[in-house]
Amino acid sequence: MICFLAYRVGLTLPLLLGAAVVIFLAGHYAPGDPVQVLLGDHYTPEAAAHMRHDLGLDRPFVVQLAAYIVHAAAFDFGVSYVNPARRVRDIVRQTLPISVRLAACAVLLATILGVTLGVGAAVYPRSVVDRLIQIGVIAGLSVPSFVTGAILVLLFALRWRLLPVAGWGSPQAAVLPVIVLAAAPLAYITRISRASVRQVMTEDYVRTARSKGLRAPAVLLRHVLRNAALPIVTTVGMAFGYAITGAFVVEVIFNIPGMARVAVDAILQRDYTIIQTAVLVYTTLFVVINLVVDLSYAFLNPRVRY
Amino acid sequence: MYVLRRVVVVAVAVGLAAAGVGGGIPSPATGQGAGVFRVPLGGEPPTGDPYFATDFSSGDLTFLMYTTLVGLDSAGKIVPDGARSWDVSPNGLVYTFHLRDNVQFHSGRKVTAADWKWSFERMGDPGLRTAVGDVVLAGIEGYDAQQRGAAGLAGFVLNPRARGGFLNRLAYYAAVVLDRDVVEKGGKGWYEARDAGSGPFTLKEWVHNDHVTLATDPHYFLGAPKVSRVEMPIVPQATTRLSEYQAGQLDLVSVPLADYQRIRSDPVLGKELLVFPRAQIIWFGPNPRVYEPFRDARVRRAFAMAIDKVKIAKAVFFGFYQPAWSIVPPGIPGFYSGYKGLAYDPAQAKKLLADAGVAGKLPPLTIAMNPIAQDYQMAAEAAAAMLKENLGVDVALQKTEFANFQQGMNRRTVFLLLYSKSPLDRVSYANPDFDRFVDDANAAPTEAQRTVLYHKAEALAVEDAAMIPIVFSQFALLKKPYVHGLETTPALTGWLRFNAVSIQK
Repeated sequence: MICFLAYRVGLTLPLLLGAAVVIFLAGHYAPGDPVQVLLGDHYTPEAAAHMRHDLGLDRPFVVQLAAYIVHAAAFDFGVSYVNPARRVRDIVRQTLPISVRLAACAVLLATILGVTLGVGAAVYPRSVVDRLIQIGVIAGLSVPSFVTGAILVLLFALRWRLLPVAGWGSPQAAVLPVIVLAAAPLAYITRISRASVRQVMTEDYVRTARSKGLRAPAVLLRHVLRNAALPIVTTVGMAFGYAITGAFVVEVIFNIPGMARVAVDAILQRDYTIIQTAVLVYTTLFVVINLVVDLSYAFLNPRVRY
Repeated sequence: MYVLRRVVVVAVAVGLAAAGVGGGIPSPATGQGAGVFRVPLGGEPPTGDPYFATDFSSGDLTFLMYTTLVGLDSAGKIVPDGARSWDVSPNGLVYTFHLRDNVQFHSGRKVTAADWKWSFERMGDPGLRTAVGDVVLAGIEGYDAQQRGAAGLAGFVLNPRARGGFLNRLAYYAAVVLDRDVVEKGGKGWYEARDAGSGPFTLKEWVHNDHVTLATDPHYFLGAPKVSRVEMPIVPQATTRLSEYQAGQLDLVSVPLADYQRIRSDPVLGKELLVFPRAQIIWFGPNPRVYEPFRDARVRRAFAMAIDKVKIAKAVFFGFYQPAWSIVPPGIPGFYSGYKGLAYDPAQAKKLLADAGVAGKLPPLTIAMNPIAQDYQMAAEAAAAMLKENLGVDVALQKTEFANFQQGMNRRTVFLLLYSKSPLDRVSYANPDFDRFVDDANAAPTEAQRTVLYHKAEALAVEDAAMIPIVFSQFALLKKPYVHGLETTPALTGWLRFNAVSIQK
């Protein structure tokens, strides 16, 4: 297990290095010159040369790449092009916790509700409850978050005035974004939970447990859920990834000052250092999520050994 | 049912609170106290240093905290601000400003002549390369400031060849006096924690990407503002700002173009709508560098006469925008009122093409659109259709990423300005008569003479179709009925400082 852990963690390093190189290349070869955008109407060749020097963009390509990787490894992502008084590291430190908290709450809500509904639907297959849950799953998967968000804002904020339209900092303000962000993962987790539990319930050892007189809740908890957990855990991991990327829409709709909205603003303002850092941070998050999911397999199922 | 909904919402909110979500400082848009004025910023201000504030968010923010020598009133007239009055020498080249003796920085220190001098020196510091220095200091040959007892004097000597618009440049919102102690001791990001201003409001809190709170300065030299503070949540999305206004979380917002008709016909919101001119023009720049036929003025004129700007204003912008016959928008000093320019006349346009020998032979034209706002694209689409219909020219519209658009502008492959010696030339228009009018206007001793010459230059540019004005845009603001004393302006985001604003619920 320790060997596997070391191997998997070790594998992430070249992965992140490769990602950093690709991100740097994408920024370097993207159309449009950031210096010309930043100077706008104040552009002159002299002013551009000064700014290029100040930003280190006049150095050889390889030197820029090497400097970027060395600094990124030390969590130094430079300064914002648009506001040079702000270090990108500080921006990440201020905004990333908000995005992670938002995604975590959405996944927590989706997991609790999704597993409950999925198990309920599996225990009472083809019942009215099952059918209603199936309809909810289809709706959750098919309706995009910006539509769900607009409808919820219209009802809860504009019509009934129960919750704020947007913002962050109070539990009330978090209700709608968490629900919107949780909708799709909830549908995924419900569907996978239902399918997984249904499949395990047909296994011989479940029949044996029932036939030896074990009560239904005990069968469900001890035998069914534990064995059905693997695909559910995988889906929860994927749901976290979805919530992290879904935040790009939700944070903008609900004006949440998280990393995703800052990244969107940076794209609109051509703040290349923030864009590159945001991509690198999200890549790292995905790598970490996948690692945690892999490791959880071994923890949850003794049959899984590496 | 209502109670049930409320219980569900409270339950979910309590659950989220328990989960630790949304911890931190409550968003200002969620709490309203008496006398609090809530106005959004359209994005995170890239800077709080007025000398680098060239975007709307930074401009809106710094404008409320700082003092200029002179300002503009809501009619666009120059009025005293940090200076109580000024004298002009008989030759019109030396301006002496009498500084007020009751202006003080938010630190409590009195503003002196030395502060004004240091501020203008910093603005023009070549090592600092401020963004506003070339705008404010253009045409100024020298300046000095001296303290005479409690009051002070600030003097400016103008270049006789470039004296035009001096007072208007001084009224630019960024030509402000700074508290030297705050700037020098605060380091590179001195403006993050406190401001160096002497305006009606002072920086209380700046939570990046979330909100800015301004507190009232009770010692403001024109009288303490009537609100207790200004809360400025940072809301980049126009639709979100509008929704927050509708939900009662904001007091003043601008109306997105797409929502204008709905708001205007809404029985409640329609009464809260303010519409007034904006210092902005949408125009078409025929550049002969990228489209050879534009070298012939007859072809440019034909294009100008083939675009029905009245129809565009009415049908595309539903009468909200106004057809533009001249270049300088209404509300800006020098607006050429009553000038009619080139009228829509497709028959005459076809004749001009025939005279130029290019009728039916025009190569396809590509119009690059400014991608930053929807209205540029709406105007371009309508103009392209009219050019196709009236002149038979194939027009393609090119929407590029803004960085490429800006690059094209700087390389002069796309658009304006018209003075051939201007660093801002965008359409490679070189007409010695136009340059002479501009040179003479800049050297004219009086504003009246200057205006006459600028009008001649403007008329020449319009009739030469060096630039084809399409429409003047307008401001549309929504203001809550309990907000009183708001003064509007065609510039900036549409409002003056909020020192006269009061909340009367």
